[in-house]
Amino acid sequence: MPPDRQILMLATLAFLAGVVSAVRALLSGNWRPRHQWVAMLIGFALQTTAVYLRGQAVGQCPMKSLSDILIFISWSIVLLYFLVGSTYRVSLLGIFTAPLVSAMHVLAFSVPKSFPDYAEKVKVDPYVELHAALALVAYAAFALACITGVMYLLQERFLKQHRIGGLFYQLPPIQGLARAIQRLVLLGLVLLSVSLSVSFKLQTPISNPKLIFAWAVWVLYAIIGFIMWRHVLSPRQTAWLASVGFIIPFISLWLVTSHG
Amino acid sequence: MVDSEAPKNQLLCLGLNYRTTPVEVRERVAFPEARVAEAVQQVQTLKGFEESVVLSTCNRVEIYSTHTHKQAEAAHDELITYLVNRFELAPEQAEALVTYKLDAAEAARHLFRVVSGLDSMVLGETEIFGQVKAAYQLALNSGTTGRTLNKLFQQAFSVGKKVRNETNIQRGSTSVGSVAVDLAEKVHDLKQCRVMLVGAGEMSRTCAQSLLSRGAKSIIVSNRSHERAVELATEMGGKALKFDEWEGSMHEVDVIISSTSAPHFVIRPDQIQQVMKKRRWEPLLIIDIAVPRDVDPLVNGIEGVYLYDIDALQAIADEGRREREKQLFVCEQIIEEQLNKYGFA
Repeated sequence: MPPDRQILMLATLAFLAGVVSAVRALLSGNWRPRHQWVAMLIGFALQTTAVYLRGQAVGQCPMKSLSDILIFISWSIVLLYFLVGSTYRVSLLGIFTAPLVSAMHVLAFSVPKSFPDYAEKVKVDPYVELHAALALVAYAAFALACITGVMYLLQERFLKQHRIGGLFYQLPPIQGLARAIQRLVLLGLVLLSVSLSVSFKLQTPISNPKLIFAWAVWVLYAIIGFIMWRHVLSPRQTAWLASVGFIIPFISLWLVTSHG
Repeated sequence: MVDSEAPKNQLLCLGLNYRTTPVEVRERVAFPEARVAEAVQQVQTLKGFEESVVLSTCNRVEIYSTHTHKQAEAAHDELITYLVNRFELAPEQAEALVTYKLDAAEAARHLFRVVSGLDSMVLGETEIFGQVKAAYQLALNSGTTGRTLNKLFQQAFSVGKKVRNETNIQRGSTSVGSVAVDLAEKVHDLKQCRVMLVGAGEMSRTCAQSLLSRGAKSIIVSNRSHERAVELATEMGGKALKFDEWEGSMHEVDVIISSTSAPHFVIRPDQIQQVMKKRRWEPLLIIDIAVPRDVDPLVNGIEGVYLYDIDALQAIADEGRREREKQLFVCEQIIEEQLNKYGFA
């Protein structure tokens, strides 16, 4: 097994340790935010190294196969988690992020023909790399909006049903969560807009399905963003949209990579 | 030559608290904050005494000290006599002075329990940690602590932190006021939170004060008797509103605490639906303390509205107490482990 895969395995184990810590916390009600944070930090360091080594091995930004895309998005999710997490509760966002990232890693290893060799590129087009990287970081922002949406729905349910205890005390206020969803959707939308505007400057052609799906995701989140901005729906309904909406970009990635 | 018969420096704790002594006696022997420094020095100058820390709060008066008396009983008697003289207690008051007298490991165990909040009236409360810290600091500054008490108190603070970090003893709310604060904190950023009291009952006042003490932004009081509303608003640094005006201001606040004596619902779903439209889905917490209830329970079904009546608040507080009691065993285990570690067992 190449070194990047070995390191990626270790990163997966670190994130799984984060999941174990999250499950133990949920069962016992005894929260150890530092354990979670350390597991995420170790996982992120290993993940970064693995992405770097994979990039060296394929001679470009590793974003061509489904496994590579999943790893790149999960790397972006953890990066955003560290960047935006401090604005609300890092520890708790980690409890929800670790399972998603672990699942993406496991999926990346399980897909058929995972981590294939790339056909050598004659010349790397920096605009293509920028376009793809920005789009994937945007998807990571949508993934975090999805996680935050789940947190909102849980806290809303606890408050409505008077189920005060355990996780309730660890979750941030619902007003803060509602705002966090809005910010993350906006961040993703801005990044995806920049990525799509870069695509107009490309000299290397990108396959049509890729662009069509990217535009479809942009339209979907533009609608969600508009609904949030105009307060058309309640925060609970928008939390549902942010959570369920992430299925679309996730499926689109699958379809896009299967079309090559 | 070393005198092998010289008595060793021994630790003791003499105290009384809300369990042993009624408040009429406790208030008689409580040291005013400004006189604690003087008290630690007085204890130190007692015959056979070397170090001293005095902890005096509304729930307890405790003297931690080291002495060289051959009999611990003699040292305890010396401290009792000091208290009787210091507070000029009449013989019948001295008779009613029920204290606990703890030596060495027992004294250390007691201090560890006190610092951890296990000996408090509200199990697991955190205020006592700061109070013990302040008492120790004052004794340290007065020069009445030495090797034994310095070590003991440092160990106690470390045990207190360990107990709080490794258990859930301080989690949850155990009173209606603190439940109200916890709920408000989980709906809004408390610092931006505007509160409205509809009715100026004692319990709603307690809830409002808890919210203000934790940083709520502002308060509006409305009551059938406007003078009472003005009085309460002035006391809490808020604004009074005429009773026929509060409905028009509901959309401007984030928490409504209702406690009128009306025999019917004063807050109805149709009103709150209008309020939520004006609030553009900003969440609203309604705490209904009144019996009979002021708020129609159907209000809880409205999106973004969270309604808690007195029974719901009480049930949460009871659950909080039960949860803390469940943690007690784990806390005691930690304390025993630490007593062993520090050589007190």
